[in-house]
Amino acid sequence: FDWRTWGIWLIGFIILVTWIIVPVREFKNLLKKRKKDLTK
Amino acid sequence: MNIVDYLIVIAFLGTIFFIGSIFYKWVGTSDDFYLAGRNLTPFILAAVLAATNINLYSFIGQSGIAYKYGIPIIWQTWTGNMAMVFSGLFVIPIFRRLRIRTIPEFLEVRYSKGVRTLVAIIWVFRLAFWLGVILYTAVTAAQIITGVHSFTVLVLILSIVVIIYTMLGGMWSVALTDVIQFILMLSGALILLPIAMSFVGWWPGLVAKLPSNSLTLVQQTGKYSWKFVLAIFLLGIEWACVDQGLLQRAFGAENTKTVAKGLVLAAIITTPFALLWNLPGLAARIIFPHLANADQAVPLLLSHFIPNIILGIIVVGLFSSQLSATSGNLNGIATVFTSDIYENVLNRKATDKDVILVARIITVLAGIVMIVFAYAVPVLGGAVNAYLTVIAIMDMPLFIIAVVYGLLWKRANWKGAIVGYLSGAVAGVIGQYFYKLDFNLTTFISAGAALIITPIVSLMTKNEQSEKLSTIWKAKQISDEEKASNVVYHIIPKSAMGKFSLVIFFSGLVIFLIGIVMGSEGLQLASVISVVGMLMYFAGGLMKAFTN
Repeated sequence: FDWRTWGIWLIGFIILVTWIIVPVREFKNLLKKRKKDLTK
Repeated sequence: MNIVDYLIVIAFLGTIFFIGSIFYKWVGTSDDFYLAGRNLTPFILAAVLAATNINLYSFIGQSGIAYKYGIPIIWQTWTGNMAMVFSGLFVIPIFRRLRIRTIPEFLEVRYSKGVRTLVAIIWVFRLAFWLGVILYTAVTAAQIITGVHSFTVLVLILSIVVIIYTMLGGMWSVALTDVIQFILMLSGALILLPIAMSFVGWWPGLVAKLPSNSLTLVQQTGKYSWKFVLAIFLLGIEWACVDQGLLQRAFGAENTKTVAKGLVLAAIITTPFALLWNLPGLAARIIFPHLANADQAVPLLLSHFIPNIILGIIVVGLFSSQLSATSGNLNGIATVFTSDIYENVLNRKATDKDVILVARIITVLAGIVMIVFAYAVPVLGGAVNAYLTVIAIMDMPLFIIAVVYGLLWKRANWKGAIVGYLSGAVAGVIGQYFYKLDFNLTTFISAGAALIITPIVSLMTKNEQSEKLSTIWKAKQISDEEKASNVVYHIIPKSAMGKFSLVIFFSGLVIFLIGIVMGSEGLQLASVISVVGMLMYFAGGLMKAFTN
């Protein structure tokens, strides 16, 4: 656990969190769209 | 691994099985099963592409080659990513506008039903066999990492769950489990790198303790020299334009612009991550200097240095990479068979219900064939290599007839395409097995044969310009679907920013190639220049995907 380890993990963490938040948001929109299509 | 690690792996398999299976209800039409109803969004598509392209052997095999030959093998991932950006910006958007599901389907639109059926049959067999090979390599690696020595137990762990959820939910299950597996496999890889590097003293330690050219990215001589980088880049372009596993995900994109965004994002995100499994291979060279089998480099690092519980998380990451590659390709086999052979040849009056049922049956059958092949690999020995080599040789002529002549030359006809395709394959096999030529050279000979013979045969036979041909040429412009949704994608950009991005993109490509040529002269800055070129290429590609 020196600064390089934390540096790698910080960059990795930012990328991974981005790839959790954005797909979840996209999936929520998908669900909304699907609901709308089904109620048509 | 101890009991806690096993529980972590079991919990992971249970969760993935549950999530994969709940999308059973989402499959209402055949397009839902094949393409998730063409609803995939940019970040979901990028995660799906990255997860499908990386299997367990990508971690083990590439780090093994890094152990043995040094860092240049990383170009296999990097140039593959560069190729994905190229196809995502210029080639696949055309296919997406045609609303096709498979490459064989494009070949019918462009040439004839015969070409479609021929290529579809070849693809069904090649994908099933390839899945068997990667399952075998994954199991042999997992035996060392997990301490589970039973081949059968590991085969079942890595195949039963994935076959069932892929069969139930089709592309919906594949896509949404892939996103989770993408996160898990990168988390696992992120844990290993700092631990391995700290043991050898980070980068200065590698420089001090490894042979002098192990860390030279573009080498003048050797098995992975500048020639390898150039050849693998061209092979990557071919792969990124015709690989069913990759293209089918792109065809599931919600619109043409999402295709470009998804492919560029997937390429850029996996570029730094390639270091996560290459650098541990180099570190293993210092820690275990005399391994007889280089593929054991990373498994040994894991079993020696990773504490329990953390090991369970890394194993979950490795299994994730395998399951996501398997599910995507099982779905690919089901799609090619059902769409190109069942619906097109065997039962043209099939209803959507029939099609989904057949696609599910084929998914299970393909899974069984995969398991049988995994057991057959050690028995077949050299035959496996021969088969994979022939298949790889046949990809190049396919690229020539589908993309080069298919999209760029109207006069090419189906007779030219079939003769060009088969003569390219024959030329490659002769070069490989009768003249014992280098594999990279063989693939270019097969491409050359198809490149020469297709136009000759086409010009000697009847000109068959059909109505369908004009739809392909129209697909180079924005489609009615894009105009209606107001999300347009211009292959050649219209805005000043878009044009600027193209300048950056092609400048990056030229600088990358200059770096490679400098490597052939053994010049010191070759590696730096080629990496700078690659980064410019990615920056230009990213700008182009997000502007017009």
